[in-house]
Amino acid sequence: MQSTRALKATGLVLVAVLLGLLTVQGSYALWNKSASTNAGTVQAAEFRVSLTDTITNQATDMTLDDGTAASFSLSTTPSGVVVPGQSSYAGVQLGNATNAGGEFTIRASTGAPVVGGNTGSPLAPYLSVKVVAASSLSQCSQAALYATAPSNGTGTLDIAKAATGVLCFQISLAATMPASLTGQSTRIAVPIIVNQL
Amino acid sequence: MNKMVKGAIATGVGVILLAGGGGTLATWNQANTASMGSVVAGDLNLAAGAGVWTNAAGTAIPKIADYKVVPGDTLTYTQPLTVTLTGNLMTAKLAVTGASAASGFGDNAVVSATTLTNSKNGKVLADTVLVPADSGVVTASTTFTFKKSTTSTDATKATVDLSGIGYKLEQQAPVSSNNQ
Repeated sequence: MQSTRALKATGLVLVAVLLGLLTVQGSYALWNKSASTNAGTVQAAEFRVSLTDTITNQATDMTLDDGTAASFSLSTTPSGVVVPGQSSYAGVQLGNATNAGGEFTIRASTGAPVVGGNTGSPLAPYLSVKVVAASSLSQCSQAALYATAPSNGTGTLDIAKAATGVLCFQISLAATMPASLTGQSTRIAVPIIVNQL
Repeated sequence: MNKMVKGAIATGVGVILLAGGGGTLATWNQANTASMGSVVAGDLNLAAGAGVWTNAAGTAIPKIADYKVVPGDTLTYTQPLTVTLTGNLMTAKLAVTGASAASGFGDNAVVSATTLTNSKNGKVLADTVLVPADSGVVTASTTFTFKKSTTSTDATKATVDLSGIGYKLEQQAPVSSNNQ
């Protein structure tokens, strides 16, 4: 009988302690105040470069909507055939069309020209391409502009945000070209790579 | 007179004597006020001021919604918080709540943990106990770093919402606090 009473008493004490603890918990709710940063949303800019044929004024973005690189055909001047020992000229205007909030300068670099595509061309040994940076198309047909340019087709152009620049190309056919190659045509591809500075 | 009348008269005389005796109860007495004064509650308040974004060049950004970040840029958000603590036994802790990972940017950006500083304590950490003398401005600072190592066109047009970050000023119970 005594043990039963003791158990009941212990149970009552436990319940009392539990209730007491639960009551004490309420006292932890002291004054407090919260505030928000209202920092907003940070957004990344677009990396957008436009290409414009400086003769036809035809324009495209370097990166197409599907994420692939654009291929852009340039017009040459003078148009028509190129006589051995003479040159033809072309130019492309690049625009830094980013919407970056801060400074955003880009550098366009040309890679080694590919003559005749994957299969090559017998004209390749007799063709040389020079690339120089310019501010307008009118400069592209000035032979003196290319005097110090390397003949491997590489060149660079720095363009500030919202600005444009021109890459001029001089395509020369060597005077030593054999007569057997007369009348042949070929395609010259110049890769342009643009990086953020 | 019969006995009934005599009894009534005797009762009436007794009542009159009792009423007359009431005056003898007015002994000396005096009243006074406790002069306890008023009990005045303290105060706890946290007010967030207007935050300012600056870019890596240190230029203030008027409106973050119109600003587009590029790799290599670091944006810093600085915000003044006015802390008010009043009360003789008032102590409180100020902590940063919530977080915003730069999930939209993948591994190309990092949002730092928000730091709190004041002129008295330097860094105000989550376990720093503030007292009424610490009332004043606490500066909160959060940085967003768009890594320069970002390649290709990764994370262009990405976004990250930083509105999940907040602050909480919470009173600490006095040592001898009650349980109510």
